[in-house]
Amino acid sequence: MTEKPKLGVYICHCGINISATVDVEALTEYALTLPNVKVARHYSYMCSDPGQLLIKNDIKAEGLNRIVVASCSPRMHEPTFRKSIQAAGLNPYFLEMANIREQCSWVHEDRTEATIKAKKLVAAAVAKVRLLEPLEAREVEAERSALIIGAGIAGIQAALDIADAGFKVYLVEKSPSVGGRMAQLDKTFPTLDCSACILTPKMVDSANHPNIELITYAEVEEVKGYIGNFEIKVRKKARYVDFDKCTGCGDCASACRVANRFASEFDEGMGKRSAVYLPFPQAVPAKYTIDPKSCLYLTKGKCGKAPKCAEVCGAGAINFEQTDELVEFKAGAIIVATGFDVFDATGKPEYGYGQYPNVITGLEMERLVSASGPTGGKIKVFNGAEEIVPQEIAFIQCVGSRDKSVGVEYCSRVCCMYTAKQAHLIVDKLPEAKVRVYYMDVRAFGKGFEEFYDRVRREGVRYIRGNPSEIFKRGNKLVIKAEDTLTATPLEDEVDMVVLAVGLKPRSDYRTTMELLRLSQSPDQFFLEAHPKLRPVDTATDGIFLAGCCQGPKDIPDTVAQAKGAASSAMIPLAKGKVTIGAQVATVFEATCRGCGFCVSICPYSAIELVTVNRMGHMIEVARVNEALCKGCGSCSAGCLSDSIQPKSFRDRQILPQIAALGVLR
Amino acid sequence: MSQQFEPNIVAFLCNWCSYAGADLAGTSRVRYPANLQAIRVMCSGRVNPLYVMNALQQGADGVLISGCHPGDCHYMEGNFHARRRLGMLKELLEFVGVDPRRFHMSWVSASEGHKWKEVVEKTVEDARAAGPFEGFRRRRIDW
Amino acid sequence: MDLDKLRKTAAEVVSRDDVKYLIGWRPGSYGYRVAPGFVEEASAAETLIFSPLCTINLATYLTLTEKLPLPRGSAPDQRKVALMVKGCDSRAVLQLLVEKGIRRDQVLLIGCPCPGVVDTALLSLKYPETESPADLKWNGDHFLLRQDGQETAIPRLSVLAEKCRLCRYPNPVISDITLGEPVEAQLTAEDSAVAEVEAMELGARAAYWEEWFSRCLRCYACRNSCPLCYCRDCVLDRLNPTWVNRAVNFSENTAFHVARAFHLVGRCIECGECERVCPANIPLGRLNRKLAREVREQYGHEPGIDPDGKPFQAGFKPDDPEEFIL
Repeated sequence: MTEKPKLGVYICHCGINISATVDVEALTEYALTLPNVKVARHYSYMCSDPGQLLIKNDIKAEGLNRIVVASCSPRMHEPTFRKSIQAAGLNPYFLEMANIREQCSWVHEDRTEATIKAKKLVAAAVAKVRLLEPLEAREVEAERSALIIGAGIAGIQAALDIADAGFKVYLVEKSPSVGGRMAQLDKTFPTLDCSACILTPKMVDSANHPNIELITYAEVEEVKGYIGNFEIKVRKKARYVDFDKCTGCGDCASACRVANRFASEFDEGMGKRSAVYLPFPQAVPAKYTIDPKSCLYLTKGKCGKAPKCAEVCGAGAINFEQTDELVEFKAGAIIVATGFDVFDATGKPEYGYGQYPNVITGLEMERLVSASGPTGGKIKVFNGAEEIVPQEIAFIQCVGSRDKSVGVEYCSRVCCMYTAKQAHLIVDKLPEAKVRVYYMDVRAFGKGFEEFYDRVRREGVRYIRGNPSEIFKRGNKLVIKAEDTLTATPLEDEVDMVVLAVGLKPRSDYRTTMELLRLSQSPDQFFLEAHPKLRPVDTATDGIFLAGCCQGPKDIPDTVAQAKGAASSAMIPLAKGKVTIGAQVATVFEATCRGCGFCVSICPYSAIELVTVNRMGHMIEVARVNEALCKGCGSCSAGCLSDSIQPKSFRDRQILPQIAALGVLR
Repeated sequence: MSQQFEPNIVAFLCNWCSYAGADLAGTSRVRYPANLQAIRVMCSGRVNPLYVMNALQQGADGVLISGCHPGDCHYMEGNFHARRRLGMLKELLEFVGVDPRRFHMSWVSASEGHKWKEVVEKTVEDARAAGPFEGFRRRRIDW
Repeated sequence: MDLDKLRKTAAEVVSRDDVKYLIGWRPGSYGYRVAPGFVEEASAAETLIFSPLCTINLATYLTLTEKLPLPRGSAPDQRKVALMVKGCDSRAVLQLLVEKGIRRDQVLLIGCPCPGVVDTALLSLKYPETESPADLKWNGDHFLLRQDGQETAIPRLSVLAEKCRLCRYPNPVISDITLGEPVEAQLTAEDSAVAEVEAMELGARAAYWEEWFSRCLRCYACRNSCPLCYCRDCVLDRLNPTWVNRAVNFSENTAFHVARAFHLVGRCIECGECERVCPANIPLGRLNRKLAREVREQYGHEPGIDPDGKPFQAGFKPDDPEEFIL
C-alpha cells in the first residue's frame, strides 16, 4: 500500500497580489490544522527558484510525500511545480494547487471573506491531494509530418520551414491557388516593395518543394487523434479539369461561352472572370478550375451543343465527370493559418458603400492600384455611370475597427499603414490629386512606420482628425460630413472618391475550423492562443498551432514571424519522433463493470471498447481503455452507473472529499 | 440589524473554458462575491450529476456547473452529455422539493470573464434568496 | 387466458434441449400471493398461472442468477432461460438487451398480453385475504375473485394497479412465443398522482417527500426488485467513495432515493415493482414516472421500446433542451 500521506502546504504571496487580500499567515496556521499536514509555509514568490527550493528541501528534510501549492491558477504554474517536486524525487502527480489568486485575491476585496474562501480552497486541495495516485506520463511515436491549413503567406512560410528541416508537409488550401491575401496586395508598407515580387517565388517553392504535398481547392473535413498522431481527411473538390493534363494555356477561359461574366474573387469583384478560370496570372498551381456555380454545363446541364472549353482544350484536360476526392493521411502536428476576411463595409451604411460606386474598400483599392489589377494599375472609378480619374480623394480610417456599434472593439493594426501607403501611391500616380485621410488616431508603431507616415504627410497628404458621420451625394460629388476635432470645426468635404480603410475580421467560416479542431476564440472571435504572452502560437490542444491573422490582425512581418514560430513549435514533436501524452487517463475497474457499453458510446475518441474476459469460467464483456487515445475528459465516468470507469486524478473518491471540504466551513 | 445570509456555493468548472474564463475574470480584476468555490474538472462531462446531490448533502446551499458553449467543448461532446444529465437531475431535484434556485448550469467560455462574474452573481443571489439549505443536508450527530 | 395452453406451451418449452429452465408465475402460499415459478421439468409446468395477481416482473430474475465459479475445463451452460413476460416486463427485457445486460440468445420469451394487474395492497384492503390461495380472473370491466368457494365480481378500476391505468404497452414488445390475443391499449389516463405532487408548492413538495423518505428502512427492496438495477456491486453500497452513508436517516435516505431514481433516468420502464415491494409504501412510482415522462416529452426517448435504440444516458442530441442553462 501507499505510505501514509505527509503533506506540505505552500502559500504564495505573489508579491502582494495574494497577500494584500488574503491573510497568508492565518491561512498557514489554518493549513497546519488540516489532517496529515506536516509543514505549512508562506513565501513571497513560490514559483521563484528560492520558493521551489523551499519545497524541495522540505520534501527531503521532512519526508513530505504530497504537496499543495496555494498560489495562482494551476493553468499557469502546475507544470512548474510538478517539475520541481519531481526533481525532489516525488511523483509529479502528487501535487494539487489551490487557486487563491485568479479565483480569490484578484476578484475579492474583503480580506475576511477572501481569507475564508482561501481556507476552503486549501482545505479542498488538502482533501484531494491525500488521495492522489502516482502516475506516469507515457510516450508514443509521433508521425513526422505536419498539416498546414491555409496557404497564404503564413501557411507557405511555415510549410517551407518545416519542409526545409526535412519533414513532410501537407499544405491544404481552400481556393484554387496558394497566395492568400498577400497575393492581392500591390505594394507593402513601409518599404514599398512589390507584394507579388516577394511572394511569388515562395508560392512556386511551396509547389515544387520535394517535402511539400500541396493540396489546393480542398478542405480539411475531419481531424481525429492527438499530437503526434492526427488522422486527417481532406476533401479535394472536383476541378473538372484534369490536374495533370492541364497546361495552364488559358484557351478554355477565352473560349468559355460565359467568358468574363463573373465577378473575380481575386479582384474583389472589380474584375471579371470566366466560368473556367485561373484566379490570377501568377496563380500556383497554374491549373484551371471550372466554377460549378457559374459553368453553364454544370448548372444547366447544357452548354450549346457541347462545352466550348472541352472543344478547344488541346490537352483534353476538361473532365465534367470528375468528382470530389477524399485524401487521408496522418500528421504529427497541425498549423492553422486560415487568415482573415475584411470588414463588410455595408455594415456602416452611412458611408454609402455599395450605394456609390466611387466609395470603395481598402482591399479594392489594392486591386485598383495593382499593375495586374482590373484597370492595369490606372486609378479610375465610376461616378454614377461616368468613369472618372478622381482628383479629390479621401480615406476614412477605422471602418469596422475600434467601433462598438459594429461589434468590433479591437484595432486592426494594419489599416493606418496601408492607408498611408495607398495615399502615397495615389500621390505617386496622380500628382495633381488632393488626398486627405480622416482618422481617429494614427498608430505607426512598427519598424519604419512612423518615418513612412511622416514621409506621406510631407508628400502633401492631409490628415484630418475626425470620424466622418455621413457621406452623401451632391451634384456629381460625394460629400463627407465630418468634424475636425483638433480645431472643433464642422466641415463638408466634396470629393470624387472615398476609400474606406476596412478592418480585419475572422474568416466568415471560422466556426467550421473551430469545430473541426476544437479551437477556442478570444472575445474578438479570432482563434485563442494558449497564453497571450508566453504561448502565442500554441492552442489549448497540444500539437495544434496558430499562424497569421487567424489568431488576430497583424501585418506581413508579424505574420511571417508567427509562422516561423509555429513551424518551429510544430517541429518539436516531429524532430523528437515521440510525444509525451497525459497520464490522467481513464481506467476501468473490471470487477464491477457491467459491460453495458455506455462509456463506449459516450467516448468521443473511440478510446473505449468492450472486450471479452474470462471470469471464473464465464466469458463476460467489460470495458477497456486504449490509453493512447484517451484524453482523460471523464465523460465516460459520469455516465457509468457502477462507477467502474474513472479518470485518474479525477476519480469520484478524489472529488467527493473535495466537495466535503468545501462544505465544512460556513 | 439582521445579517444577510451568505450562501456557500460549490462550482464545478471545466478546465478549458469555464475555469479559464474564471481565471480571466481574475486577470481582468473583475469583482464578484466570495461565496463560490470552484472544483476544477477536465470537462463538464466529468461532472457526475450525483455530485450536485452530494454537495447539497455536504453543506452547499447552491451548486453551479459550468462548461464550454455547445460545439466548443475541448473534448468535442462532453458538454452535451453534461447538459442532458444535469437537465434531468434538475427535474428530479425540483420534483423532490429542492428549490431550483439552488442549482444552475452555465456555458462560460475562456474569453467570458465578465459573463463568469454575472453567472456567479446570479448563482449567489439565487441561493441567497432560497436561504440556507436545510433539506436533506447531512447533519452532524453529537453523541 | 387459456391456462391449459399456457401450461402446455411451458411444458414444451422446458422440454427443449436449448432451454435451461422457465420462469413463470405460480400461486403463492396464501391469499393474493403469487410467487415466481422456476420450472425445470415439464411436469412442473402444471403449477403455472397467469392472472391479474401476476404482478411480479420476472425479468428481474434474468440478471439475478449467480454466476458460480466454474471448474477448470468445464464450459458454462449456454442454454436459454425461458421467461414469461407481460407488456411491461418485456420492455424491461428489451432494455436489458439494449444495455447488454443479457444477450438475445440467452432468453426465450413467452409473451402474455396483459389486460392489467391488480394493486394487491388495495385489493386486500377492500377484500381481505384469507389463508387459502385466491384465484382472480379478468372478466371485462370486472375481476372475478374466487376464494374459499365464493365468487365475487370486483369492478376493475377499483383495484387496478396505478401503473396499469397508465399502461401504453399492454402487449409484449418482444417475444418468441405469444400466448393469447393482443390486448387493446388502455385509455391512457393522465398521471394524476404525479400531477398532484407537481401541483404542490415547493415547500409542500419537500415536506411530502421528507415524510416519505424519513420512513424508508433502507431495506433496498426497491433496488433489488428492479429489473434494471442489476449492477454487480451497487455504487450506493460502496464505502470508497461513499455516496450514501450507512445511517438510516432522512438525509441519507433522500440521497439514496435521488441516486436510485437518477440511475434509472431514461431506463425505467415503469413496471412499478419498486413501489409495490416497498414495505414503507413510499410512492417511488411517482418519482420514476415523473422522470420517465420528462424523458419522453423533453427528449423524445422511451426506454425498452426500440431494440436498436441507443441508451438515453449514453447519448445526446445536439438540440437537447437547454432552457435551464444560464
